[in-house]
Amino acid sequence: MKPFRFKQLVSVAKDEWRYWFRSKLALSVLVIGLVLTLSSVVVTASNMMELSHDRHALQNSAEETFLDQPDRHPHRMVHYGHYAFRVPSPLSVLDPGVDAYTGNSIFLEGHRQNSAMFADQRQGTALTKLGNLSPAFIVQVLAPLLLILIGYSAMSRERESDTLNFILSQGTSIFTLIGGKLLALFSIIALILLPLSMSGILAIAQGESVIATLGFLLGYLLYLVAWALLVLLCSTLFSKNSESFTALAFVWILLCVVMPRVASTTAATAVPSASKLETDFAVIAQLRKLGDGHNASDPAFNQLKASLLAQYNVDTVEELPINFRGAVASASEAELTGVLNEFAEQGMSKELSQTQVARQFGWLSPMVAVRSLSMITAGTSIETHHRFLRETESLRFDFVQALNKVHVEQLSYADDMNRNSSADAAQRARVDAKNWKILEDFNFEVDSASDRLQRSLLAYWQIILWLAGLLICIRWAGRRLS
Amino acid sequence: MSKVISHLSREWRFMLSQKYILVLLACTLIVSGFSVVSGIQEIAQQNQTIERLKIADALDRKEAQEKHSDPGSIAYYSFHLTYQAPSELAFAALGERDIYPWKHRIRMLALEGQIYESDAQNAELAQAGKIDFVFVLSALSPLIIILLFHDLVASERTSGRHDLLVTTANSAAALWGSRIIVRFVAFLVCLLLPFCIGAWFSEAAIGNVLEISLWSILYLVFWTVLSVLWGRKAKSAPRVASGLIGIWVLLAFIIPILGDLAIKESVHSPKGGDIVLTQREAVNGAWDLPKETTMDAFVATHPEWKDYVSMESMFEWKWYYAFQQVGDQKAASLSNEYRDAAQQKYDLAGFVSWLSPPMLLQRKLTRVAETDAIAAFEYEQQIREFHKQLRLFYYPFLFPPVEFDKTALEAMPSFERLVQIDGTDQNANVLASSQKSQLSNQ
Repeated sequence: MKPFRFKQLVSVAKDEWRYWFRSKLALSVLVIGLVLTLSSVVVTASNMMELSHDRHALQNSAEETFLDQPDRHPHRMVHYGHYAFRVPSPLSVLDPGVDAYTGNSIFLEGHRQNSAMFADQRQGTALTKLGNLSPAFIVQVLAPLLLILIGYSAMSRERESDTLNFILSQGTSIFTLIGGKLLALFSIIALILLPLSMSGILAIAQGESVIATLGFLLGYLLYLVAWALLVLLCSTLFSKNSESFTALAFVWILLCVVMPRVASTTAATAVPSASKLETDFAVIAQLRKLGDGHNASDPAFNQLKASLLAQYNVDTVEELPINFRGAVASASEAELTGVLNEFAEQGMSKELSQTQVARQFGWLSPMVAVRSLSMITAGTSIETHHRFLRETESLRFDFVQALNKVHVEQLSYADDMNRNSSADAAQRARVDAKNWKILEDFNFEVDSASDRLQRSLLAYWQIILWLAGLLICIRWAGRRLS
Repeated sequence: MSKVISHLSREWRFMLSQKYILVLLACTLIVSGFSVVSGIQEIAQQNQTIERLKIADALDRKEAQEKHSDPGSIAYYSFHLTYQAPSELAFAALGERDIYPWKHRIRMLALEGQIYESDAQNAELAQAGKIDFVFVLSALSPLIIILLFHDLVASERTSGRHDLLVTTANSAAALWGSRIIVRFVAFLVCLLLPFCIGAWFSEAAIGNVLEISLWSILYLVFWTVLSVLWGRKAKSAPRVASGLIGIWVLLAFIIPILGDLAIKESVHSPKGGDIVLTQREAVNGAWDLPKETTMDAFVATHPEWKDYVSMESMFEWKWYYAFQQVGDQKAASLSNEYRDAAQQKYDLAGFVSWLSPPMLLQRKLTRVAETDAIAAFEYEQQIREFHKQLRLFYYPFLFPPVEFDKTALEAMPSFERLVQIDGTDQNANVLASSQKSQLSNQ
């Protein structure tokens, strides 16, 4: 019985294909869809690769300029600072995600946590407010429309022209018929996903994990299958082509156009997040209590002074074998960083919970689900950006403290205190440029595949629930017909 | 007259009997209402944030001024809040405010190192976009119009009533005309009512509300006429709608995306990173340069202080602030190019938007609501202006050897005052003034 049914499925699908070839509409929609997908894949891939290349080069040149600095007072280098660039993940060729919306470079200096600068959107034309040419957008929003335009009449057509009863009376079950039409739509899905898979292979060649790429593509596959089922469900439910079409267009507007924005608006109002500026004020108020690390005579450092004097068993800071100013700079940097990190973590967790509220809308719209799934598995979601911020912060802290260590150990307190008295004294208050080698290479890499897949589990469940719900509905609608 | 009314009331009753039209209208009302309510909430949050920041800012500066006594240190440790308050109509067009910053804190150090800091909102939400009235109007309402009007003729054809209707009605114009008018007005009310209530609640200027309403109606008429004409002869409603949705995709996505690609290819802008790098090298390099080099470059643009540039110690605040300013001067040409490129891109996008009515409408409405890139550029210009005022305020205390009295701080420039003066001078061409101040920066 089984192989026979499969043959029937294929023959139904073949009939559907033949119908599409005869209908100009279906064919032109298909061609337009494929051209769009293909061009989005090519354009985005070349853009992201150029960005990736640029940022690698900028990172290297930032490191070189730091190392090339002349002999200086070590604290000058703390303020000279360093740059870190976020190199986009390999899968960003398919979904650039938040890349254009967060700054991609960050200036690292002592005593401050700067935000990322130069978001590409701000040099933009505002023309891509409704949509952009990324494969992610095309497949998430336009591909379902394509499936609707091609498939809305798959079942309703047979009912409208009264061929359904004929087909059913010939021994083809209603589910074989629906299955065959699904198979036909599936071939379209495969066509749409083909350029994406090629880009995926390219990403793998650039070091992306195979599992993450497969997970990414699987997400889109499930998503489009859900849409194919939705199309067939509406087409089975309504007896008229026009009704089926109107219903599908309406559902598409709700799920793909309205819902994602309702999700982000709701999230932003449900979890109001304090701006960085506001937390900056709180940070400053805290820092005033900690004392200014530039001023070693700030009473806030009396305790540090007492403990150092006791440790080395001397009476004055001048007698200490280490540079007290450096010790103060180092201690205050550590305390300050503690405060900064505390506030930064608060801000990030607020932002994350905001995002998670928006992601819950995936239960209501598979488009929201696949959107988060796509960004998370591609490593272009907010989590990856947060990790970038954390890693740059530890890079910042390490190089500042390494410079402070040089300050403590390689510059005498007397020379340091006299640095402003004359040009000679200023020269003496410098350390050798070879000390700048403390800078570590910074290579930002995307989160591990298992981390990303774990994060996207929720979205997978959301899509799977949609699939299950749709299958149940189709079963019910099919039974009603037969 | 009574004939017209009877036509209209007949069509009104007919519309009420069609469930899917009622569903569409109800959804329009709900989505439009949601966008207005959430827009008002968002703007209220922005205003509250500004109020909180203003209090924190005043307190913060007061503490800095109390803790330090010399003008150099006070200038170093005092931050100044700048912000761009949302306009009364911003609730309807949130515009670019989630991409460009509308609040900034600056101090008297080199501005190019500070001004690109962004205090942006959640990037993942910004990427999805928010739902505001302009979005509902420009992107969503054409789709609903298509669903409402595409099958005007075709549905009657398929149900077999078409010929009967046409022969029994006095004139085709009266039949289809009154049907179109009833549907259009019902839709218009569902769409615009929430906006008008929101505008009344936000106390928006009536002229602006009328302007937005007028643009909206024109835009909706465009789509209605297109839908009706497209579907005039058709037999199959889905085919009509497919074509119309195709046009919508073309106008809302494809043309803007292609335009965006073309503009990005044609306008070359210096990399933002190069501006801050140039500025950083200049500022940090100054520590190793002879003091005269810095002072000469400073005096070249600020000749009034040429008699006060000699230094007695290896560190003096006047020299410190001079090299901060020289750093800005070195980065000025790059920074101007960067801003010009952004402006140029925005202008070119204006041409593209003539091919894309949804984009044209968005640009118009965000302009009226002052939430577009132009408003963001103006705000940046205000920050630059304020930074300049701040520098000019401190220089007389830093360069000549005068006794500093803290009561002098009361005359410190304030960003609010600057914006007020700017506001009364709104007729002045913003571009001209920005170019002027760019010249004076160089």
